[in-house]
Amino acid sequence: MKIQTRTEGDCQIIAISGSADVNASAVLREALLGAIESGMTRLVCDLAETDFVGSDALGVLITAYLKANGRGGFVKLAGLQPHLTQVLETTRLNCLFDVYADVASAVASA
Amino acid sequence: MTANPPKTDDLGAWTERVLPTSLTEIRGTERDVLMRLRELAYDDDHLFAVRLALEEALVNAMKHGNHSDPTRSVRVSYRISPDRVEIRVVDEGPGFDPSQVPDPTADENLDKPCGRGIMLMRCYMDKVEFSPRGNEVFMVKCR
Repeated sequence: MKIQTRTEGDCQIIAISGSADVNASAVLREALLGAIESGMTRLVCDLAETDFVGSDALGVLITAYLKANGRGGFVKLAGLQPHLTQVLETTRLNCLFDVYADVASAVASA
Repeated sequence: MTANPPKTDDLGAWTERVLPTSLTEIRGTERDVLMRLRELAYDDDHLFAVRLALEEALVNAMKHGNHSDPTRSVRVSYRISPDRVEIRVVDEGPGFDPSQVPDPTADENLDKPCGRGIMLMRCYMDKVEFSPRGNEVFMVKCR
């Protein structure tokens, strides 16, 4: 898994490519929670190139969501591939997260 | 370990690995299983489902079963035919009662960071059975 970050408007885009499996969740945690700790609480996770997500990584996304919300920010998800969309629907996490077709839509909604 | 050695039948031979309790050990098993699924031309939906369920089962066994104790092992066995995949994961922990695991899709649990592994295994596999003690899970995915 690789993570690249960039800024669009007043949002921090966290682009996650590859597999967000259990061995990648520590890196994901550092990227998301590190951003929030440094004051960037308006986060958009670009999942267009993410081909796998396990429950450990889902837990990291939820933790980041709670921390960002607690500081007046957000964590939005964008560009999910069909398998990830299905995981979100299966877990009902699509009821927790705001999910967008692409990063541009997520940033525009912020 | 409580499971008897897997027996061979018309589904072919079992492959068995004994993994130390270390999450970094999971990828090798995942890679081997996925490679064999690809060789048999399973589609992407099956690959995703089996990978997800296998990872969740192994993570549960190491974290919750063996309590991340590096002196304990996890035994994973699998056999793959053109028609089905069978996976068995056994840990050395005391076991648990899966019926007591809260429903992670309930409104009050949606923002809990943990507790989705078993539900995902049940949703993505065709059959998921735990031993009475709860330290062993057997999963089947049909083509």
